[in-house]
Amino acid sequence: MSCAEVTSCNERPCEIEVVGLSRSFGKTVAVDRIDFRVGRGELFAFLGPNGAGKTTTINMLTGLLKPDNGKVLYHGELFDPKRLTVKQLIGVVPQHNNLDPELTAAENLLIHGRLFGMRGKQLQERIATCLNFADLTAKRDIQAGKLSGGMKRKLVIARALLHHPEVLFLDEPTVGLDPHSRRKMWAFLRRINQEQNCTVFLTTHYIEEADTLADRVLIIDQAKLVTGGTPEQLKAAVGNYVLDIYNEEEIQNEFFQTRPAALQRLEQLDTSVRIRETTLEDVFLKLTGKRIEP
Amino acid sequence: MLHGVRGIYLREVLILRHKLLKTMLASAVSPALFLLAFGYGVGRSVQVAGSDYLSFLLPGLLTMTSMNQAYGIATEINISRFYFKVFEEYLLAPIKRWEIILGETCYGITKGFIPVLIIGLYSLLTGVSLNFGPLFLLSLLLHLTIFALFGFIAAMIVKNHADQATINAFLITPMMFLSGTFFPVEKMPLAIRVVASIFPLTYSTQLIRATLTPGAEVNYWLFAVLLLILGILFMIAKRIVTKVEI
Repeated sequence: MSCAEVTSCNERPCEIEVVGLSRSFGKTVAVDRIDFRVGRGELFAFLGPNGAGKTTTINMLTGLLKPDNGKVLYHGELFDPKRLTVKQLIGVVPQHNNLDPELTAAENLLIHGRLFGMRGKQLQERIATCLNFADLTAKRDIQAGKLSGGMKRKLVIARALLHHPEVLFLDEPTVGLDPHSRRKMWAFLRRINQEQNCTVFLTTHYIEEADTLADRVLIIDQAKLVTGGTPEQLKAAVGNYVLDIYNEEEIQNEFFQTRPAALQRLEQLDTSVRIRETTLEDVFLKLTGKRIEP
Repeated sequence: MLHGVRGIYLREVLILRHKLLKTMLASAVSPALFLLAFGYGVGRSVQVAGSDYLSFLLPGLLTMTSMNQAYGIATEINISRFYFKVFEEYLLAPIKRWEIILGETCYGITKGFIPVLIIGLYSLLTGVSLNFGPLFLLSLLLHLTIFALFGFIAAMIVKNHADQATINAFLITPMMFLSGTFFPVEKMPLAIRVVASIFPLTYSTQLIRATLTPGAEVNYWLFAVLLLILGILFMIAKRIVTKVEI
Protein backbone atom coordinates (compact mmCIF):
# COMPACT_ATOMS: atom_id res chain seq x y z
CA MET A 1 0.00 0.00 0.00
CA SER A 2 1.42 3.30 -0.97
CA CYS A 3 -1.50 5.62 -0.37
CA ALA A 4 -1.22 7.29 3.02
CA GLU A 5 -4.96 7.94 3.25
CA VAL A 6 -5.66 4.23 3.42
CA THR A 7 -4.12 3.82 6.82
CA SER A 8 -5.44 7.05 8.29
CA CYS A 9 -8.87 7.42 9.85
CA ASN A 10 -9.88 10.47 7.87
CA GLU A 11 -9.23 12.68 10.94
CA ARG A 12 -11.68 10.69 13.08
CA PRO A 13 -11.12 8.50 16.14
CA CYS A 14 -10.13 5.06 14.95
CA GLU A 15 -12.93 2.47 15.17
CA ILE A 16 -11.40 -0.47 13.32
CA GLU A 17 -7.75 -1.17 12.63
CA VAL A 18 -6.67 -4.03 10.40
CA VAL A 19 -3.05 -5.12 10.38
CA GLY A 20 -1.53 -7.65 7.98
CA LEU A 21 -4.78 -9.60 7.61
CA SER A 22 -4.53 -12.75 5.47
CA ARG A 23 -6.69 -15.76 4.73
CA SER A 24 -6.33 -18.63 2.30
CA PHE A 25 -8.65 -21.45 1.31
CA GLY A 26 -6.41 -24.32 0.32
CA LYS A 27 -3.99 -22.92 -2.22
CA THR A 28 -6.19 -19.94 -3.03
CA VAL A 29 -5.17 -16.73 -1.28
CA ALA A 30 -8.42 -14.86 -0.61
CA VAL A 31 -6.97 -11.94 1.36
CA ASP A 32 -3.28 -11.11 1.31
CA ARG A 33 -1.74 -9.03 4.10
CA ILE A 34 -4.07 -6.06 4.03
CA ASP A 35 -3.85 -3.05 6.34
CA PHE A 36 -6.37 -0.26 6.81
CA ARG A 37 -8.26 1.76 9.37
CA VAL A 38 -11.86 2.89 9.60
CA GLY A 39 -12.75 6.05 11.51
CA ARG A 40 -15.70 6.40 13.89
CA GLY A 41 -18.83 7.45 12.00
CA GLU A 42 -17.33 6.97 8.55
CA LEU A 43 -19.21 5.58 5.62
CA PHE A 44 -16.49 3.36 4.28
CA ALA A 45 -16.66 1.44 1.01
CA PHE A 46 -14.61 -1.59 0.11
CA LEU A 47 -14.66 -1.64 -3.69
CA GLY A 48 -13.52 -4.46 -5.90
CA PRO A 49 -14.61 -7.01 -8.48
CA ASN A 50 -16.28 -10.28 -7.54
CA GLY A 51 -13.76 -12.64 -5.95
CA ALA A 52 -11.41 -9.84 -4.91
CA GLY A 53 -11.57 -10.77 -1.20
CA LYS A 54 -14.22 -8.34 0.09
CA THR A 55 -16.54 -10.89 1.71
CA THR A 56 -13.67 -12.84 3.23
CA THR A 57 -12.42 -9.60 4.79
CA ILE A 58 -15.84 -8.80 6.26
CA ASN A 59 -16.13 -12.36 7.56
CA MET A 60 -12.81 -11.98 9.36
CA LEU A 61 -13.79 -8.57 10.75
CA THR A 62 -17.01 -10.03 12.17
CA GLY A 63 -15.55 -13.25 13.54
CA LEU A 64 -17.18 -15.61 11.05
CA LEU A 65 -13.77 -16.62 9.72
CA LYS A 66 -10.46 -16.86 11.51
CA PRO A 67 -7.55 -15.05 9.85
CA ASP A 68 -4.48 -17.10 9.00
CA ASN A 69 -2.33 -14.10 9.87
CA GLY A 70 -2.72 -10.54 11.04
CA LYS A 71 -5.06 -8.92 13.50
CA VAL A 72 -8.18 -6.81 13.83
CA LEU A 73 -8.57 -4.18 16.53
CA TYR A 74 -11.75 -2.43 17.64
CA HIS A 75 -11.07 0.80 19.56
CA GLY A 76 -7.45 -0.32 19.79
CA GLU A 77 -8.35 -3.63 21.46
CA LEU A 78 -7.56 -6.93 19.78
CA PHE A 79 -10.72 -8.50 18.34
CA ASP A 80 -11.38 -11.92 19.80
CA PRO A 81 -14.75 -13.33 18.70
CA LYS A 82 -14.87 -15.35 21.94
CA ARG A 83 -15.16 -12.06 23.83
CA LEU A 84 -18.89 -11.62 23.50
CA THR A 85 -19.00 -7.92 24.41
CA VAL A 86 -17.18 -7.03 21.19
CA LYS A 87 -19.86 -8.77 19.16
CA GLN A 88 -22.42 -6.37 20.64
CA LEU A 89 -20.65 -3.57 18.73
CA ILE A 90 -21.17 -5.25 15.38
CA GLY A 91 -24.18 -5.45 13.08
CA VAL A 92 -23.90 -7.54 9.93
CA VAL A 93 -25.93 -7.49 6.73
CA PRO A 94 -24.74 -10.43 4.64
CA GLN A 95 -24.83 -10.57 0.87
CA HIS A 96 -27.81 -12.96 0.94
CA ASN A 97 -31.06 -12.24 2.78
CA ASN A 98 -30.66 -14.72 5.63
CA LEU A 99 -34.14 -14.23 7.04
CA ASP A 100 -36.41 -16.96 8.33
CA PRO A 101 -38.99 -16.94 5.54
CA GLU A 102 -41.64 -18.65 7.69
CA LEU A 103 -41.38 -16.07 10.48
CA THR A 104 -42.97 -12.64 10.26
CA ALA A 105 -40.92 -9.48 9.92
CA ALA A 106 -41.41 -8.73 13.63
CA GLU A 107 -40.56 -12.31 14.66
CA ASN A 108 -37.31 -12.17 12.69
CA LEU A 109 -36.34 -9.09 14.69
CA LEU A 110 -37.57 -10.66 17.92
CA ILE A 111 -35.26 -13.67 17.54
CA HIS A 112 -32.31 -11.40 16.75
CA GLY A 113 -33.06 -9.29 19.81
CA ARG A 114 -33.26 -12.35 22.05
CA LEU A 115 -29.94 -13.64 20.71
CA PHE A 116 -28.42 -10.28 21.64
CA GLY A 117 -29.83 -10.44 25.17
CA MET A 118 -32.71 -7.99 24.66
CA ARG A 119 -36.15 -8.74 26.03
CA GLY A 120 -39.44 -7.38 27.28
CA LYS A 121 -40.70 -3.87 26.64
CA GLN A 122 -37.26 -2.58 25.60
CA LEU A 123 -37.12 -5.19 22.84
CA GLN A 124 -40.68 -4.59 21.66
CA GLU A 125 -40.07 -0.83 21.47
CA ARG A 126 -36.84 -1.32 19.58
CA ILE A 127 -38.54 -3.68 17.10
CA ALA A 128 -41.21 -1.02 16.47
CA THR A 129 -38.53 1.67 16.03
CA CYS A 130 -36.45 -0.38 13.60
CA LEU A 131 -39.46 -1.45 11.54
CA ASN A 132 -40.56 2.17 11.39
CA PHE A 133 -37.07 3.32 10.40
CA ALA A 134 -37.11 0.80 7.55
CA ASP A 135 -40.68 1.76 6.51
CA LEU A 136 -41.85 -1.75 7.33
CA THR A 137 -44.32 -1.07 10.14
CA ALA A 138 -47.24 -2.08 7.92
CA LYS A 139 -45.48 -5.36 7.13
CA ARG A 140 -44.62 -6.39 10.69
CA ASP A 141 -46.97 -9.40 10.69
CA ILE A 142 -46.23 -10.52 7.13
CA GLN A 143 -44.01 -13.58 6.70
CA ALA A 144 -40.53 -12.52 5.58
CA GLY A 145 -40.68 -14.92 2.65
CA LYS A 146 -43.61 -12.99 1.22
CA LEU A 147 -41.88 -9.58 1.18
CA SER A 148 -40.41 -8.05 -1.97
CA GLY A 149 -36.66 -8.17 -2.59
CA GLY A 150 -36.17 -4.56 -1.51
CA MET A 151 -38.26 -5.03 1.63
CA LYS A 152 -36.34 -8.17 2.57
CA ARG A 153 -33.10 -6.24 2.19
CA LYS A 154 -34.41 -3.45 4.41
CA LEU A 155 -35.60 -5.99 6.97
CA VAL A 156 -32.16 -7.59 7.12
CA ILE A 157 -30.68 -4.12 7.70
CA ALA A 158 -33.32 -3.26 10.33
CA ARG A 159 -32.48 -6.52 12.08
CA ALA A 160 -28.76 -5.71 12.04
CA LEU A 161 -29.51 -2.30 13.62
CA LEU A 162 -31.76 -3.71 16.34
CA HIS A 163 -29.11 -4.09 19.04
CA HIS A 164 -27.66 -0.57 18.51
CA PRO A 165 -24.39 -1.62 16.83
CA GLU A 166 -21.56 0.89 16.57
CA VAL A 167 -20.41 -0.58 13.27
CA LEU A 168 -22.68 -1.85 10.55
CA PHE A 169 -21.11 -4.18 7.99
CA LEU A 170 -23.00 -4.52 4.73
CA ASP A 171 -21.83 -7.02 2.16
CA GLU A 172 -23.00 -5.93 -1.30
CA PRO A 173 -26.18 -4.33 0.10
CA THR A 174 -27.73 -3.50 -3.26
CA VAL A 175 -27.00 -6.67 -5.21
CA GLY A 176 -30.15 -7.90 -6.93
CA LEU A 177 -32.01 -4.60 -6.57
CA ASP A 178 -33.30 -2.67 -9.55
CA PRO A 179 -31.76 0.81 -10.17
CA HIS A 180 -34.68 2.63 -8.50
CA SER A 181 -34.56 0.45 -5.37
CA ARG A 182 -30.79 0.77 -5.33
CA ARG A 183 -30.99 4.56 -5.13
CA LYS A 184 -33.58 4.35 -2.36
CA MET A 185 -31.25 1.99 -0.52
CA TRP A 186 -28.39 4.49 -0.81
CA ALA A 187 -30.54 7.16 0.82
CA PHE A 188 -31.46 4.64 3.53
CA LEU A 189 -27.80 3.83 4.21
CA ARG A 190 -26.96 7.53 4.45
CA ARG A 191 -29.76 7.93 7.00
CA ILE A 192 -28.38 5.01 9.01
CA ASN A 193 -24.94 6.58 9.01
CA GLN A 194 -26.23 9.98 10.09
CA GLU A 195 -29.31 9.28 12.24
CA GLN A 196 -28.20 6.06 13.95
CA ASN A 197 -24.68 7.42 14.57
CA CYS A 198 -23.32 4.25 13.04
CA THR A 199 -20.04 3.57 11.28
CA VAL A 200 -20.96 1.94 7.98
CA PHE A 201 -18.58 -0.46 6.28
CA LEU A 202 -19.90 -1.68 2.98
CA THR A 203 -18.51 -3.81 0.22
CA THR A 204 -19.56 -3.25 -3.34
CA HIS A 205 -18.56 -3.91 -6.90
CA TYR A 206 -20.72 -1.02 -8.12
CA ILE A 207 -18.51 1.97 -8.91
CA GLU A 208 -21.36 4.46 -8.68
CA GLU A 209 -22.36 3.14 -5.26
CA ALA A 210 -18.91 3.70 -3.79
CA ASP A 211 -18.58 7.07 -5.52
CA THR A 212 -21.99 8.38 -4.43
CA LEU A 213 -22.13 7.00 -0.92
CA ALA A 214 -18.71 6.65 0.60
CA ASP A 215 -16.68 9.12 2.63
CA ARG A 216 -13.69 6.94 1.86
CA VAL A 217 -13.08 4.11 -0.59
CA LEU A 218 -10.62 1.27 -0.38
CA ILE A 219 -9.99 -0.60 -3.62
CA ILE A 220 -9.12 -4.29 -3.50
CA ASP A 221 -8.20 -6.62 -6.33
CA GLN A 222 -6.93 -10.20 -6.34
CA ALA A 223 -6.71 -10.30 -2.53
CA LYS A 224 -4.51 -7.21 -2.29
CA LEU A 225 -5.28 -3.56 -1.56
CA VAL A 226 -4.74 -1.38 -4.59
CA THR A 227 -5.32 2.10 -3.21
CA GLY A 228 -7.57 4.09 -0.92
CA GLY A 229 -8.82 7.55 -0.04
CA THR A 230 -11.83 9.79 -0.56
CA PRO A 231 -13.36 9.45 -4.05
CA GLU A 232 -12.03 12.92 -4.86
CA GLN A 233 -8.50 12.03 -3.71
CA LEU A 234 -8.49 8.82 -5.72
CA LYS A 235 -9.60 10.60 -8.87
CA ALA A 236 -7.16 13.47 -8.33
CA ALA A 237 -4.33 10.96 -7.90
CA VAL A 238 -4.75 9.76 -11.48
CA GLY A 239 -6.05 13.06 -12.92
CA ASN A 240 -9.44 14.73 -12.61
CA TYR A 241 -10.13 14.71 -16.37
CA VAL A 242 -9.82 11.94 -18.85
CA LEU A 243 -9.72 11.83 -22.61
CA ASP A 244 -11.29 8.79 -24.25
CA ILE A 245 -9.33 8.43 -27.46
CA TYR A 246 -11.14 6.16 -29.89
CA ASN A 247 -8.62 4.17 -31.88
CA GLU A 248 -9.57 1.53 -34.43
CA GLU A 249 -9.69 -1.38 -31.98
CA GLU A 250 -9.72 0.13 -28.50
CA ILE A 251 -10.35 3.19 -26.39
CA GLN A 252 -7.19 4.70 -25.03
CA ASN A 253 -7.31 6.93 -21.92
CA GLU A 254 -5.15 9.90 -21.05
CA PHE A 255 -5.50 11.66 -17.68
CA PHE A 256 -5.09 15.38 -16.86
CA GLN A 257 -5.33 17.34 -13.65
CA THR A 258 -7.15 20.31 -15.23
CA ARG A 259 -9.73 20.71 -17.96
CA PRO A 260 -7.60 23.24 -19.94
CA ALA A 261 -4.73 20.74 -20.01
CA ALA A 262 -7.07 18.08 -21.35
CA LEU A 263 -8.49 20.48 -23.94
CA GLN A 264 -5.01 21.43 -25.06
CA ARG A 265 -4.18 17.76 -25.67
CA LEU A 266 -7.53 17.25 -27.40
CA GLU A 267 -6.66 19.92 -29.98
CA GLN A 268 -3.50 17.98 -30.89
CA LEU A 269 -5.42 14.82 -31.71
CA ASP A 270 -7.07 14.12 -35.05
CA THR A 271 -9.01 10.99 -34.03
CA SER A 272 -12.41 10.79 -32.33
CA VAL A 273 -12.02 11.99 -28.73
CA ARG A 274 -14.30 12.55 -25.74
CA ILE A 275 -13.43 14.63 -22.67
CA ARG A 276 -15.06 13.80 -19.33
CA GLU A 277 -14.50 13.78 -15.55
CA THR A 278 -12.59 10.84 -14.10
CA THR A 279 -14.60 8.10 -12.38
CA LEU A 280 -13.55 5.44 -9.89
CA GLU A 281 -13.81 2.95 -12.75
CA ASP A 282 -11.02 4.91 -14.48
CA VAL A 283 -8.97 4.80 -11.27
CA PHE A 284 -9.40 1.04 -11.07
CA LEU A 285 -8.62 0.59 -14.74
CA LYS A 286 -5.51 2.77 -14.53
CA LEU A 287 -4.16 0.95 -11.47
CA THR A 288 -5.05 -2.65 -12.35
CA GLY A 289 -5.36 -2.61 -16.12
CA LYS A 290 -8.90 -4.03 -16.04
CA ARG A 291 -12.49 -3.00 -15.35
CA ILE A 292 -14.45 -3.78 -12.16
CA GLU A 293 -17.88 -4.27 -13.61
CA PRO A 294 -18.33 -6.84 -16.36
CA MET B 1 -27.70 -15.67 31.08
CA LEU B 2 -28.51 -18.39 28.52
CA HIS B 3 -30.20 -15.87 26.22
CA GLY B 4 -28.63 -17.74 23.31
CA VAL B 5 -30.33 -21.00 24.33
CA ARG B 6 -33.66 -19.21 24.79
CA GLY B 7 -33.35 -17.29 21.52
CA ILE B 8 -32.53 -20.36 19.44
CA TYR B 9 -35.23 -22.43 21.13
CA LEU B 10 -37.79 -19.68 20.58
CA ARG B 11 -36.89 -19.47 16.89
CA GLU B 12 -37.28 -23.19 16.41
CA VAL B 13 -40.54 -23.35 18.32
CA LEU B 14 -42.00 -20.42 16.36
CA ILE B 15 -41.16 -22.24 13.14
CA LEU B 16 -42.53 -25.52 14.50
CA ARG B 17 -45.79 -23.71 15.27
CA HIS B 18 -46.22 -23.11 11.53
CA LYS B 19 -45.79 -26.79 10.66
CA LEU B 20 -47.13 -28.49 13.77
CA LEU B 21 -49.94 -30.28 12.01
CA LYS B 22 -47.57 -31.61 9.33
CA THR B 23 -45.12 -32.80 12.00
CA MET B 24 -47.91 -34.51 13.97
CA LEU B 25 -49.23 -36.27 10.88
CA ALA B 26 -45.72 -37.42 9.93
CA SER B 27 -45.29 -38.77 13.46
CA ALA B 28 -48.65 -40.54 13.30
CA VAL B 29 -48.54 -42.20 9.89
CA SER B 30 -45.32 -44.19 10.11
CA PRO B 31 -46.05 -45.95 13.47
CA ALA B 32 -49.63 -46.56 12.36
CA LEU B 33 -48.36 -48.42 9.29
CA PHE B 34 -45.89 -50.44 11.33
CA LEU B 35 -48.67 -51.24 13.80
CA LEU B 36 -50.90 -52.47 11.00
CA ALA B 37 -48.19 -54.41 9.19
CA PHE B 38 -46.35 -55.95 12.13
CA GLY B 39 -48.68 -55.50 15.09
CA TYR B 40 -51.85 -56.88 13.58
CA GLY B 41 -49.98 -59.07 11.11
CA VAL B 42 -48.24 -60.95 13.90
CA GLY B 43 -50.95 -60.09 16.41
CA ARG B 44 -51.38 -60.72 20.07
CA SER B 45 -51.14 -64.46 19.60
CA VAL B 46 -47.35 -64.47 19.38
CA GLN B 47 -45.39 -64.09 22.60
CA VAL B 48 -42.18 -62.03 22.42
CA ALA B 49 -39.88 -61.56 25.41
CA GLY B 50 -42.61 -62.61 27.81
CA SER B 51 -45.46 -60.47 26.43
CA ASP B 52 -47.70 -60.37 23.38
CA TYR B 53 -46.14 -58.86 20.25
CA LEU B 54 -48.30 -55.73 20.23
CA SER B 55 -47.21 -54.85 23.78
CA PHE B 56 -43.62 -55.46 22.71
CA LEU B 57 -43.95 -53.43 19.53
CA LEU B 58 -45.58 -50.22 20.83
CA PRO B 59 -42.64 -49.15 23.07
CA GLY B 60 -40.31 -49.94 20.17
CA LEU B 61 -42.34 -47.75 17.86
CA LEU B 62 -42.25 -45.00 20.47
CA THR B 63 -38.44 -45.04 20.66
CA MET B 64 -38.12 -45.24 16.90
CA THR B 65 -40.49 -42.38 16.02
CA SER B 66 -39.29 -40.14 18.83
CA MET B 67 -35.71 -40.79 17.74
CA ASN B 68 -36.66 -39.83 14.19
CA GLN B 69 -38.16 -36.55 15.35
CA ALA B 70 -35.28 -35.64 17.69
CA TYR B 71 -32.65 -36.63 15.13
CA GLY B 72 -34.71 -34.87 12.43
CA ILE B 73 -33.36 -31.49 13.62
CA ALA B 74 -30.31 -32.39 11.51
CA THR B 75 -32.24 -31.73 8.32
CA GLU B 76 -33.70 -28.50 9.69
CA ILE B 77 -30.30 -27.23 10.82
CA ASN B 78 -28.95 -28.16 7.42
CA ILE B 79 -31.61 -26.15 5.65
CA SER B 80 -31.10 -23.15 7.91
CA ARG B 81 -27.32 -23.46 7.51
CA PHE B 82 -26.88 -24.14 3.80
CA TYR B 83 -30.07 -22.76 2.28
CA PHE B 84 -31.45 -19.92 4.41
CA LYS B 85 -28.05 -19.19 6.02
CA VAL B 86 -29.80 -18.40 9.31
CA PHE B 87 -27.09 -20.28 11.20
CA GLU B 88 -24.81 -17.28 10.57
CA GLU B 89 -27.03 -15.29 12.91
CA TYR B 90 -26.07 -17.64 15.74
CA LEU B 91 -22.38 -17.38 14.92
CA LEU B 92 -22.56 -13.57 14.87
CA ALA B 93 -24.56 -13.24 18.09
CA PRO B 94 -22.81 -12.63 21.42
CA ILE B 95 -23.52 -16.14 22.65
CA LYS B 96 -21.31 -19.07 23.60
CA ARG B 97 -21.08 -21.82 21.01
CA TRP B 98 -22.36 -24.43 23.49
CA GLU B 99 -25.56 -22.37 23.79
CA ILE B 100 -26.25 -23.23 20.14
CA ILE B 101 -25.97 -26.94 20.99
CA LEU B 102 -28.25 -26.55 23.99
CA GLY B 103 -30.88 -24.48 22.15
CA GLU B 104 -31.08 -26.94 19.26
CA THR B 105 -31.05 -29.95 21.58
CA CYS B 106 -33.95 -28.53 23.62
CA TYR B 107 -35.84 -28.14 20.36
CA GLY B 108 -35.04 -31.74 19.37
CA ILE B 109 -36.37 -32.91 22.74
CA THR B 110 -39.56 -30.89 22.24
CA LYS B 111 -40.09 -32.41 18.80
CA GLY B 112 -39.40 -35.87 20.16
CA PHE B 113 -42.32 -35.55 22.58
CA ILE B 114 -44.85 -35.25 19.74
CA PRO B 115 -44.78 -38.95 18.73
CA VAL B 116 -44.92 -39.92 22.41
CA LEU B 117 -48.37 -38.34 22.61
CA ILE B 118 -49.41 -40.15 19.45
CA ILE B 119 -48.15 -43.55 20.62
CA GLY B 120 -49.97 -42.87 23.91
CA LEU B 121 -53.14 -42.47 21.87
CA TYR B 122 -52.40 -45.67 19.92
CA SER B 123 -51.93 -47.56 23.17
CA LEU B 124 -55.43 -46.47 24.22
CA LEU B 125 -56.85 -47.49 20.84
CA THR B 126 -55.15 -50.90 20.83
CA GLY B 127 -55.78 -51.54 24.53
CA VAL B 128 -52.09 -52.00 25.28
CA SER B 129 -51.33 -50.88 28.83
CA LEU B 130 -48.29 -48.59 29.08
CA ASN B 131 -46.88 -47.03 32.24
CA PHE B 132 -46.04 -43.36 31.52
CA GLY B 133 -44.33 -42.85 34.90
CA PRO B 134 -41.38 -40.73 36.07
CA LEU B 135 -38.81 -43.43 35.22
CA PHE B 136 -40.15 -43.54 31.68
CA LEU B 137 -39.96 -39.73 31.43
CA LEU B 138 -36.37 -39.75 32.65
CA SER B 139 -35.34 -42.45 30.19
CA LEU B 140 -37.23 -40.68 27.39
CA LEU B 141 -35.43 -37.43 28.20
CA LEU B 142 -32.03 -39.15 27.98
CA HIS B 143 -33.07 -40.89 24.75
CA LEU B 144 -34.26 -37.65 23.10
CA THR B 145 -31.23 -35.67 24.27
CA ILE B 146 -28.89 -38.27 22.79
CA PHE B 147 -30.59 -38.28 19.39
CA ALA B 148 -31.00 -34.51 19.25
CA LEU B 149 -27.25 -34.24 19.92
CA PHE B 150 -26.67 -36.88 17.30
CA GLY B 151 -28.71 -34.83 14.82
CA PHE B 152 -26.80 -31.68 15.73
CA ILE B 153 -23.44 -33.36 15.19
CA ALA B 154 -24.59 -34.82 11.87
CA ALA B 155 -25.74 -31.36 10.73
CA MET B 156 -22.38 -29.85 11.65
CA ILE B 157 -20.19 -32.42 9.92
CA VAL B 158 -22.04 -32.73 6.63
CA LYS B 159 -21.10 -30.45 3.76
CA ASN B 160 -24.43 -30.64 1.91
CA HIS B 161 -27.87 -32.28 1.89
CA ALA B 162 -26.60 -35.36 0.06
CA ASP B 163 -24.19 -36.15 2.91
CA GLN B 164 -27.15 -36.03 5.27
CA ALA B 165 -28.98 -38.68 3.22
CA THR B 166 -25.87 -40.88 3.36
CA ILE B 167 -25.79 -40.72 7.16
CA ASN B 168 -29.47 -41.62 7.26
CA ALA B 169 -28.98 -44.57 4.92
CA PHE B 170 -25.92 -46.05 6.61
CA LEU B 171 -26.58 -45.24 10.24
CA ILE B 172 -30.13 -44.22 11.12
CA THR B 173 -32.04 -46.80 9.07
CA PRO B 174 -29.95 -49.79 10.23
CA MET B 175 -30.22 -48.49 13.80
CA MET B 176 -34.02 -48.35 13.48
CA PHE B 177 -34.30 -51.99 12.45
CA LEU B 178 -31.48 -53.64 14.39
CA SER B 179 -31.79 -52.05 17.83
CA GLY B 180 -34.64 -54.13 19.19
CA THR B 181 -37.48 -51.86 18.13
CA PHE B 182 -39.34 -54.57 16.15
CA PHE B 183 -37.72 -57.77 17.39
CA PRO B 184 -35.65 -58.64 20.46
CA VAL B 185 -31.92 -58.19 19.86
CA GLU B 186 -31.29 -61.48 21.72
CA LYS B 187 -33.03 -63.37 18.90
CA MET B 188 -30.74 -61.90 16.26
CA PRO B 189 -27.57 -63.61 14.90
CA LEU B 190 -24.33 -62.86 16.73
CA ALA B 191 -23.01 -60.46 14.06
CA ILE B 192 -26.14 -58.32 14.30
CA ARG B 193 -26.04 -58.45 18.12
CA VAL B 194 -22.49 -57.06 17.97
CA VAL B 195 -23.57 -54.27 15.62
CA ALA B 196 -26.62 -53.52 17.78
CA SER B 197 -24.42 -53.18 20.85
CA ILE B 198 -22.76 -50.14 19.20
CA PHE B 199 -26.08 -48.36 18.63
CA PRO B 200 -27.33 -46.10 21.43
CA LEU B 201 -30.89 -46.87 20.34
CA THR B 202 -30.41 -50.47 21.56
CA TYR B 203 -29.92 -49.24 25.13
CA SER B 204 -32.60 -46.56 25.08
CA THR B 205 -35.10 -49.02 23.57
CA GLN B 206 -34.35 -51.54 26.31
CA LEU B 207 -34.74 -48.92 29.02
CA ILE B 208 -37.85 -47.26 27.61
CA ARG B 209 -39.53 -50.62 27.00
CA ALA B 210 -38.78 -51.72 30.55
CA THR B 211 -40.02 -48.46 32.11
CA LEU B 212 -43.15 -48.45 29.94
CA THR B 213 -44.17 -52.06 30.44
CA PRO B 214 -46.02 -52.57 33.73
CA GLY B 215 -44.23 -55.03 35.98
CA ALA B 216 -41.08 -55.23 33.83
CA GLU B 217 -37.70 -55.25 35.53
CA VAL B 218 -35.68 -52.05 34.94
CA ASN B 219 -31.91 -52.34 34.52
CA TYR B 220 -30.72 -49.14 36.20
CA TRP B 221 -27.24 -49.47 34.71
CA LEU B 222 -28.79 -48.48 31.41
CA PHE B 223 -29.33 -44.95 32.80
CA ALA B 224 -25.58 -44.76 33.41
CA VAL B 225 -24.85 -46.07 29.90
CA LEU B 226 -27.16 -43.47 28.32
CA LEU B 227 -25.68 -40.70 30.48
CA LEU B 228 -22.21 -41.70 29.36
CA ILE B 229 -23.25 -41.68 25.68
CA LEU B 230 -24.90 -38.28 26.20
CA GLY B 231 -21.74 -36.85 27.79
CA ILE B 232 -19.55 -38.14 24.96
CA LEU B 233 -21.88 -36.77 22.29
CA PHE B 234 -22.04 -33.36 23.99
CA MET B 235 -18.24 -33.15 24.09
CA ILE B 236 -18.04 -34.10 20.40
CA ALA B 237 -20.72 -31.52 19.52
CA LYS B 238 -18.89 -28.83 21.51
CA ARG B 239 -15.60 -29.61 19.83
CA ILE B 240 -17.17 -29.45 16.38
CA VAL B 241 -19.23 -26.31 16.90
CA THR B 242 -16.24 -24.44 18.34
CA LYS B 243 -14.42 -24.93 15.04
CA VAL B 244 -17.36 -24.18 12.77
CA GLU B 245 -16.88 -21.35 10.30
CA ILE B 246 -19.43 -20.24 7.76
